[in-house]
Amino acid sequence: MTSLASVNGRYRMFRSFIESIDEDAPFHFSAKDNLTSSAFETCAGSRVLEGYRPAFDAAPISRLSDIGGQLLGKTNMDEFGFGTFSANSAYGIPLNPFDTERACGGSSGGAACAAAVLDGHVALGVSTGGSISCPASFCGVFGITPTYGRVSRYGLIDYANSLDKPGILSARAADLSRYLPVISGRDPRDPTSCMQPDLVLTGRKLRSVAVPETALEGLSRDVESAFRTAIGTLEGMGVEVETVDMPTLRYAMPAYYILATSEASTNLARYGGMRYGPQDGDLALRFDDYFTDFRSRYFGDEAKRRILLGTFTRMVGFRDRYYTKALQVREVVINDYRRVLDDHDAVLAPTMPFVAPRFDDISRMSALDSYKADYLTVPANLAGMPHLSVPCGYDGGGMPIGMQLVADHWCEDVLLSAALDWEKGFDVRRPEVME
Amino acid sequence: MRIGLEIHVQLPTRSKMFCSCPTTSAESPNTHVCPTCLGMPGSRPVLNRRALELGLTIAKMLGCSIPDTTWFSRKTYFYPDLCKHFQITQYDTPIGEKGVYYLGKKPIRITRVHLEEDPGKTKRVGDQSSLVDYNRSGIPLVEIVTEPDMSTPAEAREFLSSLIADIRHAIGLQECDERSIRCDCNISVKEERCEVKNVTGLKNCERALMYEAVRQTKVLKAGGRVERETRRFDEERKVTLPARKKELEADYGYIGEPDLGVYHIGKMAEGIKVRESPQNMIRRLAQEYGIETATARQLVSTSVPLAEFFETLAEETDVPTAVTWTAGVISANWKSYDRSEESDRRMVSAVKRLFAGEITDTECSIILKAVMTGTDPEEAGRSSEDLDAMIGSFLDANPSIVEDYRKNEKAANRIIGHVMKETGGAHPSSDIVAAAKRILESRL
Amino acid sequence: MDRETVERVARIAHLKLTEEELEGYSRDLSEILEYFKVLDEAPGSEEFGFNPVEISDVLREDEPRMETDPADLLRDMRTYEDYVRGPRLT
Repeated sequence: MTSLASVNGRYRMFRSFIESIDEDAPFHFSAKDNLTSSAFETCAGSRVLEGYRPAFDAAPISRLSDIGGQLLGKTNMDEFGFGTFSANSAYGIPLNPFDTERACGGSSGGAACAAAVLDGHVALGVSTGGSISCPASFCGVFGITPTYGRVSRYGLIDYANSLDKPGILSARAADLSRYLPVISGRDPRDPTSCMQPDLVLTGRKLRSVAVPETALEGLSRDVESAFRTAIGTLEGMGVEVETVDMPTLRYAMPAYYILATSEASTNLARYGGMRYGPQDGDLALRFDDYFTDFRSRYFGDEAKRRILLGTFTRMVGFRDRYYTKALQVREVVINDYRRVLDDHDAVLAPTMPFVAPRFDDISRMSALDSYKADYLTVPANLAGMPHLSVPCGYDGGGMPIGMQLVADHWCEDVLLSAALDWEKGFDVRRPEVME
Repeated sequence: MRIGLEIHVQLPTRSKMFCSCPTTSAESPNTHVCPTCLGMPGSRPVLNRRALELGLTIAKMLGCSIPDTTWFSRKTYFYPDLCKHFQITQYDTPIGEKGVYYLGKKPIRITRVHLEEDPGKTKRVGDQSSLVDYNRSGIPLVEIVTEPDMSTPAEAREFLSSLIADIRHAIGLQECDERSIRCDCNISVKEERCEVKNVTGLKNCERALMYEAVRQTKVLKAGGRVERETRRFDEERKVTLPARKKELEADYGYIGEPDLGVYHIGKMAEGIKVRESPQNMIRRLAQEYGIETATARQLVSTSVPLAEFFETLAEETDVPTAVTWTAGVISANWKSYDRSEESDRRMVSAVKRLFAGEITDTECSIILKAVMTGTDPEEAGRSSEDLDAMIGSFLDANPSIVEDYRKNEKAANRIIGHVMKETGGAHPSSDIVAAAKRILESRL
Repeated sequence: MDRETVERVARIAHLKLTEEELEGYSRDLSEILEYFKVLDEAPGSEEFGFNPVEISDVLREDEPRMETDPADLLRDMRTYEDYVRGPRLT
């Protein structure tokens, strides 16, 4: 009988959790704390939602519960998903199980940590700009981010409505194949989930991949070396690897941040100290002041930064240059991917340019520095294409390194079979779990 | 003077715009609410098909051009009645644009028609705080914006009244509340215009516009300049006042609503049939058939099918004949007429035979009445003969009535009274009057 | 982004910033916007949607239905006689 309290005391993956794992349940899972669960307080890593008890469960949680999954708890995350290291959490910050002085990645850091630490665990995460791939890479687990619109967002507390995608993290590739079909499918409560073709796991094999030239730039030595070795392994498995030019990838980052923050600034407008979250403000204040006072007190630093940025990018006089342009550039990036994926099954690159950084290094990074760290995961996320991160190596200190495969819209099947095939030949290391 | 209106009408759907909460009146506050219309974190909107259909019906009725594709946008501002602190509305692709509405012969240009959700309702609590009821939050609204083509407050009121009647007919809006109509009224006496926001009901719109017209005129007369501003209407004092600034700074920062996607309404709009509005029918009958507007109005307001029957008769005979018989005997018996195609045919045939000179007025009248009241025409004929005979013999016994009638029509009443007493109401009074007059005239 | 603009944006977004925050965010946002300039060179596109995959014509039938008890939703709100309490309006 595993006591979650002691494990959580060590690694802080959970914001809230039940007492212990029921060994008789078919499987156990966790959910990132931006997925509503009526069984727990749901806070999305933010103090503006302290005390929020939703009256409804998020679709992915219901679907896993319906087949017998036991929801162990809600995992820690960056506030509303704003971050790359889960360090912007207003609650616990999850610690990397390979080295607790390093971050788990973000924003689904708690999810990756739980997947790495707890045997047989399935973690629900959510990706907007790379928040499943990044922590999966840093924590040495598998992470699948499905096509945008594959998994219902009903019950997902919004970061960006055209970019958020619930997905799965696990130490075992088979869990991805087993549970992605369960949480996928049309949900009339979320219109954006109603356009998908059926998810059919054909077992289609990965035969050729394209590596963008820019994917080999800006990498740490360990990541570059592990990646090159991994390419060799893939070729040994019979996969054709070709370098390609994808000239639009460098526009993906600014387009992503503009769209994400524009949408987020409207999604976060509702938090004003009425109806949910802390409601202890002085009602005698005029409404503008009441809302301003609450928001200034309870939003974290990164949340404020993104709200300011996203409010600006859709303001009169700036909207065309930023918001509208970004919408167009998304289309351009999608077309660039499609062009390459016409001739290849997937686009391949390292997931992150370095291994999980130390917390003191993170505190020295500027906002722009941490945005730029996502340059390898953002393009696929902007384009809404399904992508998979697999552990592909370890650095000198044993820290995990990941690589990412991106397939065309709706083509999760080739990614899932690639995960299984890769796992057969690669020794996935598990962290030494201390309690 | 130029007046333009932005009119908000609640659409008569059974559920709200983006959720399934009922739209009926609730007994207490906050009982017709759900996570979506309360904007709870994690909730999501789904568009009501009927709201879209009704909106398109109105856009078509107003002769708007309808785009192939439409979508929704977020309009962000902070107020306690607006749960998400953004309203889902339409910004760059309204469902209808550049339409026109004829007020009599005068065209009032319609700038745009679009769909949006209603916010909740706030109540002030002294000056201390507020109370909010979200039952109204998420109710579907159609917003109709006109060009400043109206010239007087009275004309604006007439426009509203007429427009609402037509909308009511087109989409089945309930007789309810003229107060469920809200308007932003724009008025300029000279150059500068003022907007009076959120005026409820037609009477108040007229009052607000009248007050503004006077206010602006006074300012100009005194040699001053009218400030372009937003005002509000105080219902109790019946005056307009400068509006309290609702937001610190209005920059709505519109973005497309990604949770809903786009709607290909071109096809949907094609399939929508808009029934001709009563106003339009009146106008058309007067124009097409050259009849008096008053006559057209009388026919249409009795019953639209009656007016349609008039058109059939006019085609089969001629306009004067159609008017006489439709506005006369047919209209008089329309309420009791249990309609069928067969009966309609028999009626048309009777009037045609009259028109061709094959039967007399009386005979035609008998047939029509018989068909419409479902009695046997022979019997009706006999009953009519009996009536004639009775009147005839009464006049034979009282010949002075004819002379009296020559001087004063009211003498006929003596016959009518007698027949009624004798027959105990077996004949409808209209028949007795018609017969009495006919026989008296023939004896003059 | 100059200080004045940040102040204006903060007002619209209903955030009150300290002197320190104002300076810090001005700096950050200027740096970020400078980086965004690369977008000006990017090609545009005639066709684009608000989502990366086409989302179209998803509608709901007009059937009234209440799945959640409103009392459960109001339970954690500040209320008075079934109304939700809010701040002063004037």
